[in-house]
Amino acid sequence: MSTSNGRSSVTIIGGGASGVLLAAHLLRDPKTDIRVTLIERRGQFGQGLAYSASQRDHKVNVPARGMSAFADDPEHFWRWLQTRGYPAARGSWVFVPRRLYGVYLEHVLSEAGQSRLGRLVVLSEEAVAVHEGKSGIETVLDNGTSLISRSVVLAVGHETQPARGRGIAVRVGSERDTPLPENAPVMILGSGLSMVDAWLSLADAEHKGPITVVSRNGLLPKGHRDVPPINIDAADVPFGTSLPYFMRWFRALARETEARGGDWRSVVDGLRPYNQRIWKNWTSNAKRQFLRHLRPWWNIHRHRLPPELHERLVRAVGTGQVKLVAAEFLGVERNGDGARAQIRRRGTSERETMDIARVYDCGGVSVDVLSSSNPVIRDLVANGRARPDTFRIGLDVDENCAVVDADGKSHERLLVVGPLTRGRFFEIEAIPDIRVQAATLAARLLAQG
Amino acid sequence: MLTKKGKYGLKALAALSELPEGQLAFVGDVAKGNNIPKKFLDAILAELRNAGFVHSRKGKAGGYCLARPADEIKIGHVVRVLDGPLAPIPCASKTRYQPCTDCDEATCQIRHLMLDVRNAIADVLDNTSLTQMRAMGGADALGSEAMTA
Repeated sequence: MSTSNGRSSVTIIGGGASGVLLAAHLLRDPKTDIRVTLIERRGQFGQGLAYSASQRDHKVNVPARGMSAFADDPEHFWRWLQTRGYPAARGSWVFVPRRLYGVYLEHVLSEAGQSRLGRLVVLSEEAVAVHEGKSGIETVLDNGTSLISRSVVLAVGHETQPARGRGIAVRVGSERDTPLPENAPVMILGSGLSMVDAWLSLADAEHKGPITVVSRNGLLPKGHRDVPPINIDAADVPFGTSLPYFMRWFRALARETEARGGDWRSVVDGLRPYNQRIWKNWTSNAKRQFLRHLRPWWNIHRHRLPPELHERLVRAVGTGQVKLVAAEFLGVERNGDGARAQIRRRGTSERETMDIARVYDCGGVSVDVLSSSNPVIRDLVANGRARPDTFRIGLDVDENCAVVDADGKSHERLLVVGPLTRGRFFEIEAIPDIRVQAATLAARLLAQG
Repeated sequence: MLTKKGKYGLKALAALSELPEGQLAFVGDVAKGNNIPKKFLDAILAELRNAGFVHSRKGKAGGYCLARPADEIKIGHVVRVLDGPLAPIPCASKTRYQPCTDCDEATCQIRHLMLDVRNAIADVLDNTSLTQMRAMGGADALGSEAMTA
């Protein structure tokens, strides 16, 4: 067992965007006495699920100007892009390849390590368990060793769950995502941003076969436009009301903004700084109603596509190559080399059978931690030292991001950063929110010593 | 500024917060106990019901009760519903902005000051729950006697 003196030491499990942002914030102030260990099983830092896409056209869905690692230095990413000679004909309202953002995060991490020599240790290992003890928290690695630190932060972020249909459906970019004959019919489950990734991979491979996109609502993500957010103060926002009341207010505001020649996107973006507070002040019932009835509609307006990509997708739907079907996915079975899927179209009661060469599961990233693929999360939940949040969309944490156990008790030294905290904060999927959470968490960890 | 409507609404909610769990109050009793015109209170409670702060039941044993615990109901949230966006003067609201005829919004120092004032108001009212407000006055001041239906 390797031990440190346990003082002012933080182990971060997960080296994707959330983990890197937290490490960078912890090491930012040269006056602080802190040791950070960052553990990432893949050995590639800053390249979690979101920022490892290798295809040329897989772009970040947020304009570069919003993607700095530091909220108080919003030009940081943009400056870095320019040192790399990134063409910027249209200024910072550009959508860079995701892979490039992964490289930026690597840079942010190495800069943090170089500025505080000896303070950052990165390990290409898999963490398998964490145990709280008297002298600190022990993180057990799968190579048999373990390390002790004052605090542990889980930064496991977005998780890939096993694909549906008992492994017949395939995840994009996984090992089983082998090349397809160019005229093969394909089905994609889900119509959100992950579906767009799948479609883009097919389009880039010049796939000619029909692509059927199946989702409950059949809604496509909207495209971005370069419009400024409207100016909203907290004093304007109806917190704590019922969902119908809130939605009437929101729709009226969007209508008024458009009547004045504005754009609904400005309203969605203007409200963004208050999303966590809006969520927090809703009753559990209102949150549940939102997740059940409004989330798909909210997602397509809130999580938008770069405009060129959106236009391309709309064109593909227009030509009929991509067919959107609002239906429930009932199941899939093997059918020779391909698959036979069953769906039920919205508003009908008949099962419909479709023969396709492959089913891609793009059912989003929301996780039920009970079936987590991460051994640390699985172990914590199985032993009652952590639990899913009320809505089963992440891990239960308190206001300070501390893990809440099965008895409802907070564990101050075991924390979570990033999308896994969405049950409490909801709006914690993208860099602009995660960097703020990382900054707050870092300040608290440094103050605790 | 807080209107009569906002003030009556808060008084009614404070009165409802005194009810034992599961009990409802008649509008007439709440109105009488707090010196609020009953018709006005009917309208106010209907708005509070639409916004999800109170529940109502019709019929003989009907009446009103809080829809969520009093310590979850923030005063600022109620005032926004009854009086609109918190704003000391009409031109200081961002979403329900009403320009003044006599000045230029960009340069008016009074408006800029009032924008700060509204944020301070929101800060106080959004951090005060119905439970906390109730604790600020005596029970008598809220007219809580003869409240149960």
